[in-house]
This record gives sequence, C-alpha cells and structure tokens, in this order.
Amino acid sequence: MQDRPTAAELLETIADLLEGDLLAATQGPLRHPVRVAGNLCRILEREARLGPSQEHREQQLLRELLQRADGEPTELNAALDQALAAGDDATLEPRALPVLVEIVRGKLAIAKPGHDAYRGEPADDDVPGAGTR
Amino acid sequence: MSASDPLQAGLGRALGEVWGEAPAIENLQIASAGARRRNVLFDAVRGAERVPLVATIIPNPAMQVMDVEVEVAGLRLAQEQGMPVPHVHGVWADRSYVGGPFFISERVEGETIPRQVLRLVEAEPSLGPKLATQCGHALGRLHAADPAKAHPGLNRPPAGRSIFDHALEGAEALIRELLQPSPSFRLGLRWLERHTPSRPDRLAVLHGDFRNGNLIVGPDGLRAALDWEVGHVGDPMEDLGWLCMRMWRFRNDDLEVGGFGSRRELRAGYEAGGGSWRADAFHWWKTLSTLRWGLGLAGQAKAHLDGSVPSIIMAASGRRVAELEYDLLMLLQGPAPAGETGS
Repeated sequence: MQDRPTAAELLETIADLLEGDLLAATQGPLRHPVRVAGNLCRILEREARLGPSQEHREQQLLRELLQRADGEPTELNAALDQALAAGDDATLEPRALPVLVEIVRGKLAIAKPGHDAYRGEPADDDVPGAGTR
Repeated sequence: MSASDPLQAGLGRALGEVWGEAPAIENLQIASAGARRRNVLFDAVRGAERVPLVATIIPNPAMQVMDVEVEVAGLRLAQEQGMPVPHVHGVWADRSYVGGPFFISERVEGETIPRQVLRLVEAEPSLGPKLATQCGHALGRLHAADPAKAHPGLNRPPAGRSIFDHALEGAEALIRELLQPSPSFRLGLRWLERHTPSRPDRLAVLHGDFRNGNLIVGPDGLRAALDWEVGHVGDPMEDLGWLCMRMWRFRNDDLEVGGFGSRRELRAGYEAGGGSWRADAFHWWKTLSTLRWGLGLAGQAKAHLDGSVPSIIMAASGRRVAELEYDLLMLLQGPAPAGETGS
C-alpha cells in the first residue's frame, strides 16, 4: 500500500497546478492543451475514487442482461455488442436500452458529471417516432 | 508573426487578375494556422477604397477535403440562391501565388465562436428566435437549388441506392473499426436500420456542417455561413438534423437549434425559404449525426493511440465518447412512444 497522498489526491493536486499557476503562465497555442490536461487529471481523480464501484456495477448489470454467471466488463460488452448485431433475440433491444443508460450514466459520473441532466428532446407536435418504420 | 512579403505579393498579384489592377495588401494577419487550412485576414487598398478580405489557404493540398474550386462553387451557388455567405472574389488552384490552393472572400464581421454567439443572444432575447428562423430560411434557399447545377466534383451518393442504406453502411464501417465495442452505438445503429424515414422528393445540395460555430452572427442576426468544405448532395433533412445535435447547443439543451432557438422557428424559416420539412427524417438524421460524432471521437482517440496523430486533444476525445453514447440513447428513448426502440 502506498503512502498518502492517494492517487486521487495527487491527481487533484496536479489538476490544480495545471489549471492554476501553469495555465496563468502559459501563452498562445499551449493554453488549450494545458486546459485539456487539467481536465483529464480531474477525470482520472474521479476515476481513482469511483472507477472500481462503477466497473463493478457495469459488470453486474451486463451479467444480468446477458444472463451470465461470470465475465469481465470488456468481454461482456463485446458479447452484448455481438448479440445486438446478430439481432436473434427480439426482446434484447428493449431490455438493453435502460441498462445501457445506467451504465453510460456511471461512465459520465467520471468523464463528465452533469452531462446526464439532459433527458431527451422536447416532445412537441412535430416530433416523429410513431409510424416511421 | 511577420507579414511575409511573398504572401503579400502573391495576394496582390491574384487580386490584380480579377480586379484589373493590383491593390496594395495591408494589415496582413494570420487568423488561424491549422494543419489543413490557414485563414489570413488583410485589407486590399485601391486608392481611397479599403476592402477587408480573407484568404483561405490550403498549405498542403494532400490534406484538403475538397478541391477549392468545388468549395467555391458551393459558396457561389448558395449566394445565387440568396443564402447569406461571404462573397468570393476569386479562387486559385495554382500553388505559385501563396504556396497552396486558395480563395479570397469578403470579410464578414461578427461572432463565430459559439459562446460569443450565445452571449449576443442573451443580450438581446429576440435575436435567438430570429436567428433560428434565419438559419431555416438560409437552408431552405440552399436546398431549393437544383443539384444538377452543382459542381461535378461535389460528392454525390451512389446512384440507384438508398441514401439511408449508404449512410448506414458508412456508420457500420466505423463501428467495425472501434478499438473497443460500444453496445450503445450498436443499439443506435440497429434503431436507425429499422426506422429509415420517408424519402425526400428529391436530393439537394447540402452545406454539410451548418451549425453554431460555422455561422457569422451579428446583433442583427445571421450574416454568413462558413466552411463549405464538406458540402455534398444528399437528403436535405441531413443539414437540419446536424444543426440540431445536442453537441452544438453548448449547454443550452432546451434550445434545440444551436442553443439559441426552437425547432418550430427553424421549421417556419425553412418552409418560408422553400424547404419541405419531414419530421421523421429530421429525427433520423439527428440520431445518425449523434452516432457519427461519437464514432468520430472514438476515431480521434484511436489516431492518438496508434501514433498517427499523437495529441493530448485527440487522446481526450476518447473520454468524450460516453457523452455521445448518452445523447444517442436519449434520442432512442426520447419522445418516441413506449416500445418504439424494441421489436
């Protein structure tokens, strides 16, 4: 076990440096990459804290959806992708949709918190959907 | 950044050909210097007259998406149709003037950066609806053009095939190239395959990238549409779906058109401009655009990882893929009736 600060604490410190003093001292075309680097450290800081539980939840959800007793997320995602591509099970798509929404929201909690405040398009009269097949 | 003499001389020589006498070139300023395109701002001075202009230069023709002649033909066609675009003074494929193919156009003042555009709209609330209506009208005018009149070099879908199948095959090819499978993108592709919309009465000349970020906007509204290099012939609703992607709203999620206007305003303008709105195709193309954008981000991460374009910006794109997965899933479940995404 490593000593404090933890990975998350260090990443937060690096992000503070990048977005604070370093950005202030940077001119011209390097400003954008420095800002991006700071944001990537924020993402990795959240990943260090939330990643393990997010991945565990993803694995659990995919196992339930695919009715499997085991399998890692990488392999389960590939299996789901193939099953959707094959299209043999007509019930899979409606069952997969809410599961994928939950998994992607878990990813967004790390990659971009708040992005999932949006819940789809306005349902005005012109919105299609029905009768488009 | 020195105002290089060869550049000045080349621009003067080029304008001399179209104007009859070579103007003096002053206030040369490199506005953007990407790998693919350079935008150079300058004034052309003839006696007492000072004309503010922009030169769009392709430094490396191997990297150009579209020949400058084809791009300029699109701009000129749009202008003939009455769509607001910068007037083009001339186009030169010959590299001897400024080191690469280029064209010189009118410099239209106004905001192009999306957040600045949205700031203008905040300052003047009537501007948002007006802008959305003007965007619709501009696209309606463009789409009213006869594609047979467009430059022969413009990209066209293969004859005798469904434009929808053609577009879906392109997306599927990108899905096959993903470094890791995305069940969300796959689900989106499946939905698109089963919900191909009504066919357009006829194909149209499309701008291809008409969105907040490629518009010049002033307090009076839409002044010009920029960046014609991905123009092509296709379903006119493709331009409208692309414009309304969530990605171009810059957090104003409720305002479907670029974060400044509503679909109702856009549609009213489009129909007034001569366009024919198809709701099913609008939703379909918006959904496909979202999928394509997500696949594009994944492709950028791949280009970083395989060493072809090493860049922290490209690397960061990989961690943005989830945003597009989410937007896509919301479109699939969105306002459609329950059970729509199944069966």
